[in-house]
Amino acid sequence: MKLLYVKAKNFKNCIEGYTIDLVAKSRKTAEDKEYELQEIAPDLYVYNTMAFIGKNASGKTSALELLDACYSILGDFRLEDKHYDYDGVELEIVFYHAGFIYKYECLLSTDISLSNQAIFKEEKLYRKKYYKSRIHELYEDSSFEKMDEYGTLPEDISKVFFVLEKKSTRAIYFESFGNGAETYRMIFKALKNYSIDTLVLENIMRIFDDNIEHLQSLDEHNYRLVFNGEEKYLSDSQLIYILSSGTTKGLLLYTLMVASLKEGFDLLVDEVENHFHKTLVENMISLYKDKSVNKKNASLIFTTHYCEVLDQMGRQDNIWICKSGKHVSLSNMYEDYQIRTELLKSKQYYNNAFQTAVNYEELMSLKRKLKE
Amino acid sequence: MKRLIMCEGANELEIVRILLANNRLIFGEDELLGLTPYHARQITGNGQVRTELNIYPGNDVLIMRIGDAQKERLKIPEDYKGKIIGIEKYCTKPELEMLFLIAEDKVAEFEKNKSTVKPKDFAKMHISLGRKKYDNSTKFYKDYFGDRVDILVQAILEYKRIKSSHKKEELYLADLIDLK
Repeated sequence: MKLLYVKAKNFKNCIEGYTIDLVAKSRKTAEDKEYELQEIAPDLYVYNTMAFIGKNASGKTSALELLDACYSILGDFRLEDKHYDYDGVELEIVFYHAGFIYKYECLLSTDISLSNQAIFKEEKLYRKKYYKSRIHELYEDSSFEKMDEYGTLPEDISKVFFVLEKKSTRAIYFESFGNGAETYRMIFKALKNYSIDTLVLENIMRIFDDNIEHLQSLDEHNYRLVFNGEEKYLSDSQLIYILSSGTTKGLLLYTLMVASLKEGFDLLVDEVENHFHKTLVENMISLYKDKSVNKKNASLIFTTHYCEVLDQMGRQDNIWICKSGKHVSLSNMYEDYQIRTELLKSKQYYNNAFQTAVNYEELMSLKRKLKE
Repeated sequence: MKRLIMCEGANELEIVRILLANNRLIFGEDELLGLTPYHARQITGNGQVRTELNIYPGNDVLIMRIGDAQKERLKIPEDYKGKIIGIEKYCTKPELEMLFLIAEDKVAEFEKNKSTVKPKDFAKMHISLGRKKYDNSTKFYKDYFGDRVDILVQAILEYKRIKSSHKKEELYLADLIDLK
């Protein structure tokens, strides 16, 4: 299963018809096919990496949250415990699965109980056989056939269940604010659930802090740490004081990255550069592009303020520019801009080619006030 | 020192991957920048190569270009000039398909027609694996040489023997083969 396209209405503060297309559109060179793209069916290419850029409060997180909502529906057939209102949200999700293209439409509402669950209403499922000769009409409504009703489900379970049948991790969303002391429990849960060797964790720990020799979970909240040759028994809240919050966050992110690459699910990361050395971000992107590592077609989808990261991306159609106004909207670097390929994307970003520059006048206004 | 292998095409990359996987080169994966060879004609246009150069802190990268004639000059971006200690060219001219022609003992026949047909087109007409004809695909290289690395190595060595007229700066794939 691979998500190809999503269109939303009434989702957070997003503009009506807010759309994210995950299928490669522009010309695909042989080098792109090796590093930038993954072929999920003949001639059907999606991205190994995809980025959302933009100013603060431009809706970058909303883009990831929308994708996370889709992956929750496709993976768990549910939508629950999200931080936004489900009422009135309309979704159109197109995905590829086992030789077919599926289109799923639904209207969400909030469960009347106190649980934070979405109810699926007005659900419609369509499908068509995938033919590479008809790739240009991938999303065309007339080419889909409505699927028969298979039966009824509880209202908090999506009918996508009838297609995908088995729950599976389709993506993990890594939020920027972190999980504090809970992070360690999540790291060890990820190691267990995705059968990752503890030696991999030790390797990750040394990348972030070579003073950490060993970290062992004793129970959900207590750990044995060998740090700089000294053995310590610590609770999770004590541990976070010894290992920095950046290291703690990094350990989880890199563990989830290993799981994603191993299992082939996508990883959504809000503010990928947050707390990290540039090299660690570059290394993550590089691993997703290396087919000898990324053997199961996982994708890394991230938001960033750090536009130098864009220079690592060989294409433009996998870069989305988020913009705020009355509503937040998205533009695609390939479809919506005439950008000069000979210039670095980061240079063009700083030159305000995508209207993402910080307001200079406001910066100077603050400086004037500070000079008074 | 780290070796940055830049293959001109996907097929050259596949050949290097087969040789690496079978330990038939004078170096192993650990000596390669980013532990892997790359499909890259230039550094500028290849984000993956640039990333690997960014990540590697050393200033001792030897670039090894692999391709047929390699007439296009390799431009080293200013940011990376301090990292590169040299550039070597390993040529498979006129075309990589010469390896198939050697492996199938069709060089003499090709030589009679070489003024009118390129090795690639000659291979498409005369080289097959089972029922599958050569189609310039990477998969064909993998299927043909993947499990028969001795045939590949012999073809590479024979290529150097019969094509000994490369220019001085043009090295041979055979120069990378571990003969021990």
